[in-house]
Amino acid sequence: MEKYLYIALFAPLVSSLFSSLFTATPKKLFTGIMASLLIFTSLVSSTILLMYILKGGEPIHVTMMTWMATGDLYIPFGFVVDQISVTMMMVVTLVSTVVHVYAIGYMDHDKGFNRFFAWLSAFVFSMMILVMSDNYAGLFIGWEGVGLCSWGLIGFWFHKESATWAANEAFIMNRIADLGMLIGLFLIYWNTGTLQYDGAFAAFHQLPTDTLTWIGVFLFIGAMGKSAQFPLHTWLADAMEGPTPVSALIHAATMVTAGVYLVIRSHELYSLIPHVGLFIASLGTFVALFAASMALVNRDMKRVIAYSTLSQLGYMFAAAGLGAYWVALFHLMAHAGFKALLFLGAGNVMHSMHDELDPFKMGGLKKVMKGTWIMMVVGSLALAGVIPFAGFFSKDTILEAAYSGNHMVIYGVLLFTAGLTAFYSFRLVALIFHGEERYKLFGIHPHEAYRFMLWAMSPLLLVAIGAGILQTPFFDMVEEALNAHEYHIAHGTALIMLVGTQMFVGLAILYAYKKYANSRVTVPDGTSKMENSFAYKLLINQYYIPYAYEEYLVKPYRELSEVFWQKVDLKIVDATVDGIAGIIYSTGEKTRVMQSGNLSTMLKWMVAGLVGLLSLAVIFGLAARYSDEILTFLSALGV
Amino acid sequence: MLDHILSLLIFFPALAAVFGFMIQKESMRVYGVAVSVIEFALSLWLWYAFDGNVSGMQFMEHLPLVPSFGINYTLGVDGISVFIIILSAFFTLLGIGSLTDTKKVKYMIITLLFLQMTMAGVFAALDAIVFYVFWELSLVPMLYIIGAWGGPLRIYASIKFFLYTFAGSLVMLVGMLFMAYFYYQATGVWSFALLDWYRLILPESFQLWLFAAFFIGFAIKVPMFPFHTWLPYAHGQAPTIGSVILAAILLKMGTYAFVRFSLPLFPDAAAFFMIPIAILAIIMIIYTAMVAYAQKDMKQVVAYSSISHMGIIILGTFALNVEGISGSIFLMLGHGVVAGALFLLVGVIYDRRHTKMMSEFGGLAHVMPRYATIFGIMMMASVGLPLTINFVGEFLSLLGFYQQSHILTLLAGTGIIVGAIYMLAAYKKAFFGEVTNEKNKNLPDINKKELFGLIPLVIVAIWLGIYPKPVLDPINNSVKSIVQLMHNKSTTELAKKRIPNLVKPKVVVIDKTIIEEVH
Amino acid sequence: MEIGLNHYLVLSTILFAIGLVGVMRRKNLLLLFFATEILLNAVNVAFAAISHYYGDLTGQMFAFFVIAIAASEVAVGLGLLIVWYKRNGSIDLDALTTMKG
Repeated sequence: MEKYLYIALFAPLVSSLFSSLFTATPKKLFTGIMASLLIFTSLVSSTILLMYILKGGEPIHVTMMTWMATGDLYIPFGFVVDQISVTMMMVVTLVSTVVHVYAIGYMDHDKGFNRFFAWLSAFVFSMMILVMSDNYAGLFIGWEGVGLCSWGLIGFWFHKESATWAANEAFIMNRIADLGMLIGLFLIYWNTGTLQYDGAFAAFHQLPTDTLTWIGVFLFIGAMGKSAQFPLHTWLADAMEGPTPVSALIHAATMVTAGVYLVIRSHELYSLIPHVGLFIASLGTFVALFAASMALVNRDMKRVIAYSTLSQLGYMFAAAGLGAYWVALFHLMAHAGFKALLFLGAGNVMHSMHDELDPFKMGGLKKVMKGTWIMMVVGSLALAGVIPFAGFFSKDTILEAAYSGNHMVIYGVLLFTAGLTAFYSFRLVALIFHGEERYKLFGIHPHEAYRFMLWAMSPLLLVAIGAGILQTPFFDMVEEALNAHEYHIAHGTALIMLVGTQMFVGLAILYAYKKYANSRVTVPDGTSKMENSFAYKLLINQYYIPYAYEEYLVKPYRELSEVFWQKVDLKIVDATVDGIAGIIYSTGEKTRVMQSGNLSTMLKWMVAGLVGLLSLAVIFGLAARYSDEILTFLSALGV
Repeated sequence: MLDHILSLLIFFPALAAVFGFMIQKESMRVYGVAVSVIEFALSLWLWYAFDGNVSGMQFMEHLPLVPSFGINYTLGVDGISVFIIILSAFFTLLGIGSLTDTKKVKYMIITLLFLQMTMAGVFAALDAIVFYVFWELSLVPMLYIIGAWGGPLRIYASIKFFLYTFAGSLVMLVGMLFMAYFYYQATGVWSFALLDWYRLILPESFQLWLFAAFFIGFAIKVPMFPFHTWLPYAHGQAPTIGSVILAAILLKMGTYAFVRFSLPLFPDAAAFFMIPIAILAIIMIIYTAMVAYAQKDMKQVVAYSSISHMGIIILGTFALNVEGISGSIFLMLGHGVVAGALFLLVGVIYDRRHTKMMSEFGGLAHVMPRYATIFGIMMMASVGLPLTINFVGEFLSLLGFYQQSHILTLLAGTGIIVGAIYMLAAYKKAFFGEVTNEKNKNLPDINKKELFGLIPLVIVAIWLGIYPKPVLDPINNSVKSIVQLMHNKSTTELAKKRIPNLVKPKVVVIDKTIIEEVH
Repeated sequence: MEIGLNHYLVLSTILFAIGLVGVMRRKNLLLLFFATEILLNAVNVAFAAISHYYGDLTGQMFAFFVIAIAASEVAVGLGLLIVWYKRNGSIDLDALTTMKG
């Protein structure tokens, strides 16, 4: 089985290195095919490992070699395949395979074709390290590695200013969170003496709650950055500058869920500190609502889906924070499927609309893009949590968990957000696929994507439709590993909740259709009453948070840097040094006149010096000789 | 021959440099490369013969110079110094090999070979006077390199460099003389041998003063805030090769001397001054990173980033535990490789455009993709991404210091954020966007000679990031012995608390009774 | 009245003072040499006197050294002076300012 572990882990690396050999050459189709095949190999290996684990096999644990060892610190490259990591491996490799194949079509005309696959496979490799590592340091390698690849892929079209800006923003914001993570690691090391999961988890039970709280908080700060939780969320929407397959793989299905994975992986820690868990759940709930509200009005198709990702991450954190780790993991899995599906569908739309992102400029695309329409509708139904699609099972369990834990505020907010989710998802579908064909105004001739791209998406379609039936086997698998238990709510209440939720969601969908699928929808021009309302402005400007960051953090930082350089470094620190040197110079300059060159004058100086030294010698000699008398004299004077 | 390999490493380049005067101008380059290849091979042989499991000094050489005052020509290496010697030989080779068209190339190579002598000498010397001699001698070739081959402000820059560091070293020399005098008072024998000094336990008040005297000399060399202002000028004016060696090796002399002198000689003072020095280091890290962000000249960005990274090295050194000190020594190597490579990279673009202003560039990734890739790798190494050489050092340094102070480590950790900010901003300005400047449209990509200098550095940066063990293990062993020495020597309560005792209390079983024997 | 050590020392001091004033005031290079000779010989007197007083010959030996060195100094100095005079036609001190800083 170890063999499969290594194949699953290193096939993406081989793929990345192989593609990177051709980065400087023009597009070569076989790099894409080769990369897809290698990632598929990884998927097959992961599936074999999953089967093995499902059959009740012992978790596989390998230690490849030492990475760092000094003092008492020992960090190996160690990998573990257990119930949690194998789930993540499946998610990662499945979505990656789909996205790789899809990207062969999507990046068809891009001259960075080969480079794209090098980065994409490198990302998969980093992600595999992240989920498979058996220690926090290895997790951190993957953590930073996915950050790097995300930087390279968001800024893939580096000629665009907005893309490179977004890439840097994502990297730096993640770095802020990484510092928290790093501090968490230090805390773990100095308190438990190890960074291995098993060793650290065992030691956590002996630690005081204060220390555990700090560890939990700092690790969660790391998770907040990667999973774009408030207030580090702004990078995710901007990251949509990257190619759409990247958004699907990195910014929807895998990388952003790394934070959730971290919390689930450290569940032994978080179950010891429920107050931190409650904070995580509250923040998650807040983000779920907060992000959904921004998705309501946004006029950028990809950003809407990005906000919905953010919102769903909030759901996952809410579940994980409430101790329902298996629910969080299940939602993560289901969400990866349908969200990637949505993104790839959006990619098809974008392609056919010549990179137009405003859904108001589309409409009526259903006629030309039947396949994509089906995919997007199924994805949206799953996202909205309509029975019997995937999202229903995962999201409904989160609500159950909140309800049975008596967290009514969380329950209420999450329920309300479910309605919002249904509304904005179908607002998008309605605007894109139904109503008038507004794109004709802009002279665009849409066409359906390549057939193989649609086929490539079909596994995700299956996940979005049928992931619900996996819930029970999944529960059985992780029951022990995650200390999972089912949520039992009285039968009647459960039925009322189910029907109520479904009706609420259904109404939201109908409202969205009614409002946006008719022929009266026009391209907004900024004059309508709604667009001038305060709420709309607040939401479209993302609560002015990016503006505030720019105004109150970025600009002051830039100005302060300038001041430090121009004023402090050059005018104070360096000027002091030059000043001291200047004093010495000017002393020489001033005393230069002594050196008149006249022997007579020099002799006079010499005599003066001699007399001076002699008199000093005499004075000190006398003082030494009569020191007692002088002291008596001085003391008599009262000194 | 192995007995005298250190002398060979020191004096072979010097001898070769003297012979170099007789070599014809045309064949000088080949001669220089040949000499530096031999020198590098010797250093590799040193590594091969070096026993990583021994914590003490190896390849010791001893030759009395002034026996009545205990001044001897004593050499030796341990895990701490051996890799820096190898690195210096490595950089001399890369520097000479990738030397671009320079005027008076013959004299440049001779100067570089002399510089190699002084660098090997500093890191191998185990006698304070010999150390001091090489320390000061190293200023001379650098003075020439900046003063003769530098930019428009070269005279100002070289004099500033020389006088500033020289003034600091004089204070250090006074400290050394006092140290020898105290040794004489305590034992009745004069000695400048470092290993003798290690055994001397000084009262805390003496330690504080001596520590301060040594500190000034070392801190200016590092350079620590607020003594750093000579460095941007020196880097700004020096030719590429000068900056490379200055950043890669010469700055490390200061931090190396902290580990070699300040810590083991004055453990109480080191523990006493730990917090103030850490604060200085944090100012260095954050402040210079911000200054780097404001720079308009690409080379100055790298210059200020050097200072910022040196701050982390200082922090690791004054963590006073094995993790921190090992990390800081590893980071010395890491920063040497990465900063050296970055300066080489800036040199590449300077050779083509004769400007280093970032506003002149933009979109270079379109015209020079290979160059952009290598620059990107080195930038990420500089930012401290895991699996690159810098991460190991930075991680261990910060990890080490975390044991001493949580808040200060948190502040110092912001270095990984601000570091990313200035590096990514600089990279974006120079490499991303459209090619706007006409002059950049037809720039040739990186050529073979430049690749000769850069590819080995890329390999080392990644290899030691993934597998630091062969280097980290010997460092670890030597550092352990130094930390234990410091713990044993320290007299104050504070120092005993801050410097860990590595000898674990042994559990002895006598008649089924477990007695904890505390050392 | 017997002439003792003090008398010699006073004589030496007076001679030294005369020489010192000469060194400071003279503008003629030749006379400057005379003045330095007076200085040296003032010291010689003191050496000889103290040597006699202590019955130790070291002082007198030192006086001989001084005489020998003074002689060689005068020889070199006068040689330079003559060359200078031949070249410039003057040995006025105020004209000798090539060392001005």
